[in-house]
Amino acid sequence: MGKYFSVFTLTLKEYFAYRLNFLIWRLRVFIGFLVPFFLWLTITKQVKNFSGYEEESIVSYFFFSHLLAYFILGTRTVDIAGQIQNGEIINFLLKPMSFFYYYFFRDLADKILNFLLSFFEVFLFFKIFSIPFPQVNLQFLPFFFLFLTLGLFLSFYLNLLISFFGFWSTEVWAPRFIFFILISILSGSFFPLDLLPKKLFSLIILTPFPYLFFLPVKMISSPKTLMNKIDLYSLFFMGSFWLAILFFLARFFWQKGLKSFSFWGR
Amino acid sequence: MFKKLKRNLKIFLLFSYQSLKTTGQSRQAIFLFTLGKILRFVFLFGVIFLVFSKTKIIAGWSLKQVVILYLTFNFIDTFSQVLYREVYRFRPQVISGNLDLILVKPYHPFLRVLVGGVDFLDLLLLVPYFFLLLFFIFQEKISFFSFFLYLTLVINGLIIATAFHIFVLALGLLTTEVDNAIMIYRDILNLGRFPIEIYQQIISFIFTFIIPIGVMITFPVKALFHFLSLKNIIFSFFISFFLLLLSIKSWQIGLKKYQSAGG
Repeated sequence: MGKYFSVFTLTLKEYFAYRLNFLIWRLRVFIGFLVPFFLWLTITKQVKNFSGYEEESIVSYFFFSHLLAYFILGTRTVDIAGQIQNGEIINFLLKPMSFFYYYFFRDLADKILNFLLSFFEVFLFFKIFSIPFPQVNLQFLPFFFLFLTLGLFLSFYLNLLISFFGFWSTEVWAPRFIFFILISILSGSFFPLDLLPKKLFSLIILTPFPYLFFLPVKMISSPKTLMNKIDLYSLFFMGSFWLAILFFLARFFWQKGLKSFSFWGR
Repeated sequence: MFKKLKRNLKIFLLFSYQSLKTTGQSRQAIFLFTLGKILRFVFLFGVIFLVFSKTKIIAGWSLKQVVILYLTFNFIDTFSQVLYREVYRFRPQVISGNLDLILVKPYHPFLRVLVGGVDFLDLLLLVPYFFLLLFFIFQEKISFFSFFLYLTLVINGLIIATAFHIFVLALGLLTTEVDNAIMIYRDILNLGRFPIEIYQQIISFIFTFIIPIGVMITFPVKALFHFLSLKNIIFSFFISFFLLLLSIKSWQIGLKKYQSAGG
């Protein structure tokens, strides 16, 4: 385990070496947060109850979604496709460690830094604009941790799968672009998904995207609006089903990719 | 003068033809990128309808006005991406020293580094955005004068977009920092997708008078619906002129400081 801890600390050191890049990335994330936050704040101020959401619950949703979004989605696996293309991946294959664990610990460092900075940003933002801090809903805390763990692993395996495209195609950015778009549409980053009409919401819940961060955020912010629509146990079942599928797919394509992979000159 | 313009147009068309050939090489990427952009466009269009399913007015704007604002945003944003895509590829030119090879050529460097890589993927999307925009505008009772003012302010918005892109190039010369600067510009521009009035007063003020995203996108639509005061119309033209001059000056300063470190 010691070697993976070193991977974790080295990744942190990498970020401290390129501080400006990381801070600019956080600035971009924060600017992205402003549009949906103010849009829905204006709406809920005007329409007192929007499908069960009031001003307080919408503030709470976006507060926690800003905190958790890049704790769950933050990843270093985007580098993998490039490493397959330029052959650098051979360096990892020769080392006595698991490739999956290596990237999991790199991701962990990324997530922790993202979480700390997002906390600082949102705290400052709420203070400057005198927006009252939302309360944590402790009633569903076990479900929160359950869905958070599910989201972390789903995000990890989904990201790995997209990077493994690099084994078969040089077009690695196009699939990732589609993935970003799907996340922005279906994961609840622009609005809480349970605002949608029930039939549409039931369809989206069949995809893996709402399990990334919509559900953990809901569990800690305003679980009541969701519980009127769907049973939490069936959500957990569906999320676990997707995790199992993505876990096996990632392993399968990794093995398959390694067999078809060849490189020279290193 | 006319001869010089004709020559520049010829060079621009030549670069665009080369760009078209490069784009055509990766058909899989063309399909996926276009699909992604269409999905995002349709999704945000859907968000507008979701918002207006429970109310008729948001921050003083009606559904039709917000739709026209959203389409105006897409038109201005896509148009500037079609034309100025080469800016996104400026950093490698600076750090490799290849920029020298452009600077010594007998044409204005902007022909290569600013408009030398027309994005044909975005051009595909610009056409439907344009017709959708016209369709929604002509659904409304709009006077010829307001439409003319709208067009003039859209062009004014494109001038501001040009100035921002030249600023990024100048920054690239001074610091080699291009990628983050251009992405921050895009993120800030995205704030203009919805009426600037939804933001708190201080943010609205910043994005109207300091980083004039509101002038680029919200003002043309306000003029179309007679929301815009004469004072703000004059301010719009003043700020675009000022920013364009300032950006060209920054580029010139950048060129003086450029040391051709790469190569």
